[in-house]
Amino acid sequence: MRKNLVWYILFFTIAVIYPHFVDPSWVDIGTTFALYSVVALSQDIVLGKAGMFDMGHATFFGIGAYTAAILNTVYNIPIIYTIPIAIALSALFGIIISWPIIHLRGDYLLVATIGFNIIFYQALQNNLFGLTGGPNGIFGIGAPVIFGINISSQRAIYYFAWFILLITMLIIYNIDKSKLGRAFHYLRESEIAAESFGVNKRFYKVLAFALGAGVASLAGVIFAVQYAAVSPETFNFTQSVLFFTIVIVGGPSSIPGILLGTFVMFVVPQFFREFATARYFVFGIAMILTMILRPQGIWPAKFGKLPKYLTKES
Amino acid sequence: METILQITDLEVSYGSVVALKDITFNVKSGEIVVLVGANGAGKTTTLRAISGLVKPKKGEIIFEGKRIDHLHPHKIVRLGISHAPEGRRIFGTLTVYENLMLGAYTQKQIDKNTLEWIYNLFPRLKERSKQLAGTLSGGEQQMLAVGRALMSKPKLLLLDEPSLGLSPALTKIIFDTVKQIRNSGVTILMVEQNAKAALKFANRGYVLEVGKIVLSGTSEELLSSQKVVEAYLGRK
Repeated sequence: MRKNLVWYILFFTIAVIYPHFVDPSWVDIGTTFALYSVVALSQDIVLGKAGMFDMGHATFFGIGAYTAAILNTVYNIPIIYTIPIAIALSALFGIIISWPIIHLRGDYLLVATIGFNIIFYQALQNNLFGLTGGPNGIFGIGAPVIFGINISSQRAIYYFAWFILLITMLIIYNIDKSKLGRAFHYLRESEIAAESFGVNKRFYKVLAFALGAGVASLAGVIFAVQYAAVSPETFNFTQSVLFFTIVIVGGPSSIPGILLGTFVMFVVPQFFREFATARYFVFGIAMILTMILRPQGIWPAKFGKLPKYLTKES
Repeated sequence: METILQITDLEVSYGSVVALKDITFNVKSGEIVVLVGANGAGKTTTLRAISGLVKPKKGEIIFEGKRIDHLHPHKIVRLGISHAPEGRRIFGTLTVYENLMLGAYTQKQIDKNTLEWIYNLFPRLKERSKQLAGTLSGGEQQMLAVGRALMSKPKLLLLDEPSLGLSPALTKIIFDTVKQIRNSGVTILMVEQNAKAALKFANRGYVLEVGKIVLSGTSEELLSSQKVVEAYLGRK
């Protein structure tokens, strides 16, 4: 634990000084890295912890971004107030979407979640209720103001995104240490065993979706702020595949694994930008190599530790 | 004796396949009742219906005077029915001790006496309490599965094939322990393919055949019934 803490402090220290040494386009990549990590960590609640194949997670990321965009541009609600609304709305969607399909397993659930993602994308494309702006999306999203500070400069948004990542990591860490995290773990390892000693399967599975949806939505709001615009492409099925693979390649249920996964799947391809779309070769090769060489993920999680208060004998 | 579990006209189907039909039987407090039958007869399905893992299509399951057939599994555990499912389903990445603790998931506080009692029933588990459950032998894993089910302090324990894959010597140890568990006041309903051995120490038995109960009686009656001997126990 101590050792981990040192690594995390080092990680965030580098993140704090990083924008002072790179050009603006790389600051943007740093911001997006933080936000994608948040989405990947939220995807992991559903996929890695609770073991449900959710291939539509970009939906919840998009609900956050569009909620903030619509409330801010149409109703002039300050961004900072749209955050709780976006989280609540997305969590509610998570519950509504997952409720009827939660009993599905593995690939069946996966296909159903893809279906939801496609419906969501089509709704955005077709300018639902005249609010989503169709294929062009929505422009002119404002910046949040916190304690009188206007978070509009590139660096301010960068730090804000990293602050959100820190909060998310603390949430995930707490889930892992709680009864909730253990219930997810048992359900993933053996549903029948978990149910037979009294874990409420449906409740915890829906809760996993609600939590994952809420956290992804938070990242969505900041993402909308970063680009001051939202468009449907960012929340389509391909994007869901990216989040799904980040978790699988990085290491399900492992915080460092998922950060590393985001780095490999999102940041590394940026090094090869001169090659235009050919940079996605990296993406594909990384997926194939990891599955062959490290099927548990690049940085797999260590399981099996119950909290001290439960296991101490005497 | 008081009836602790009464099942009436139970019907379960998986899609269009009928797994159980018109199942009626009861378990009385303090008994060991065994369900015997060939593969696919519906033994496991019966236990799963009782613990709520599958929902019956028709019929009633009454536990201590209360209908439980519409309840979710986690509620049924809280009422005092514990199910040690088929195939052990222990958590290999957790230690023996941690696996046992999971059995007490529904308890607000872990009862040291229960743990002590389980360690007395299965001294092996105490010896290996710090070991990862995945490294246990088959017999030890079975002991762990039974021990874990006991941690919730059940009134009725459902055992699914506790002798599966075990040597005759280990089977005897498990069955002797089941008897001890009954003697300490837990009623037991178990499913066994090893019908002869199971009937020898049970009070009563029911014989299932393709989803129906075809015979019932005390263990002695069943063991001496020509039909049972031929069909399920093998010719002498």
